Amino acid sequence: MAPREWRLASTHGAVSQCAAVSRIVFPLVTGLVMLVAWWGLYEAGAFPIGTVPHPWEVVLAFRDELASGRLIADTIASLYRVAWGFIGAMVFAVPLGLVVGRSAATRSALLPWINFFRSLSPIAWIPFAIIWFGIGDPPAIFIIFIATFFQITLATAAAASAVPRIYYRVAEDMELSATAKLFEITLPAILPQLVTAFRVAIGVAWMVVVAAEMIAVRSGLGFLIVDARNGLRMDLVVCGMITIGAIGIGLDLLFSRLARIPSVRWGFDR
Amino acid sequence: MLALEGVGFDYPGLVVIDGLDLTVAEGELLVCVGPSGCGKSTLLSLLGGHAAPTRGTITRNGQSRTIYQDGGLFPWLTVRENIAGGLPRGFAPAERTKKIAEWLEITRLAEFADTYPHQLSGGMRQRCELARALAAETDILLLDEPFSALDYQTRTRMRRELVATLAERPRTVVFVTHDIEEAVQLGDRIVVLGSRPTSVRRVLELPIPRPRQPAAPGVAEAEQAIMDELGLS
Repeated sequence: MAPREWRLASTHGAVSQCAAVSRIVFPLVTGLVMLVAWWGLYEAGAFPIGTVPHPWEVVLAFRDELASGRLIADTIASLYRVAWGFIGAMVFAVPLGLVVGRSAATRSALLPWINFFRSLSPIAWIPFAIIWFGIGDPPAIFIIFIATFFQITLATAAAASAVPRIYYRVAEDMELSATAKLFEITLPAILPQLVTAFRVAIGVAWMVVVAAEMIAVRSGLGFLIVDARNGLRMDLVVCGMITIGAIGIGLDLLFSRLARIPSVRWGFDR
Repeated sequence: MLALEGVGFDYPGLVVIDGLDLTVAEGELLVCVGPSGCGKSTLLSLLGGHAAPTRGTITRNGQSRTIYQDGGLFPWLTVRENIAGGLPRGFAPAERTKKIAEWLEITRLAEFADTYPHQLSGGMRQRCELARALAAETDILLLDEPFSALDYQTRTRMRRELVATLAERPRTVVFVTHDIEEAVQLGDRIVVLGSRPTSVRRVLELPIPRPRQPAAPGVAEAEQAIMDELGLS
């Protein structure tokens, strides 16, 4: 068979335009389809009364909650707890993970126990959180800490134990001290994995704060949902859910940006 | 000076090196050639002080730097920062900047000073490794198959660059390779190693000026002698 004549022109401009369209327009189209389906099913009477709110009721609930300032206040309350719990976990988990990863004795002593506590649902700690810290921010922050601390420790340890030996040989040639090896070799070498671990952990923290707020406190997006359910305000429940999901996406986007830092990027480009 | 006397090295249940005697004179370029798995890398680890011998003694005067086949650069540092890390401590900042610029120039990496290793080609990465190791100004340089991961043309060019740089800044060099052509191109002296446990099968002196043409008198003969020794002809 004779080959067909062909020609390949540069499609660079068109391709990048396509990428932008698919990144922004496609998700919006999906959202619109879901909204139309919800609306249509509601109007068709597919949902028994009181089980699913009308989309317009949700819009109105958003308007009221924003106007009263409660939605903003609850969002800030939740973010505040996540921030402190997460920062606390980072501060303690990364050094512990480094030690566990680099010292065989510490590893065998601690690793099974870190795994033990990691497997415990953070929700299981809520009774203790309330008894130890009362109500308000502290128990929620404690739950976030518990939910992320063991995870980050484990991820740091795994990354630190897998740093190629060749880097330490070069460091020995350079006569770096043990401290210098830790800060100039181990830490930068595991930074890409740390960024990924933080990204996963912040997602978990955001999920957990909602659960913690349903039990231990009287503010935050989790409390907003429980409070709305108690008042049979399903429109408000959906309003809270949408806010939680949107902020979850935002947090993930924020942490994924960390991968673009030049001295981290090598771990993602290869 | 580097000397091994009756050196042996074992992994549990495996004798890698046994009864090895070897002396490297100051300023000499010694090439160790041998089949893969013959313990060449272990030998360099011993010379670099990264492993301790199971038997015998190793004498080393001065510090050493090792250049590896691949992956020895720190990927989180730019070319400039990697080379800077190689410099001995104690230089004033201005002096450091000057030295770094000098090495970037010598290794033709000035244009890529601020790029990261993963953005470079294999040849450029090895030039950067070379710059980092040579910048340290140590007496001893150990090279563990430094050009083996490169393509033929790049490899040939890199050899010439190494020879030229060493001519200007001589030091004691132990170069380990499985590439016979590379060995006869570079070595003042070539040690042909046998398979495990590593032993010296033959030593060839090559007082031929570098760069060496493949057909130059003595070069082809040496290559043939090594082939014979390794049972390849």
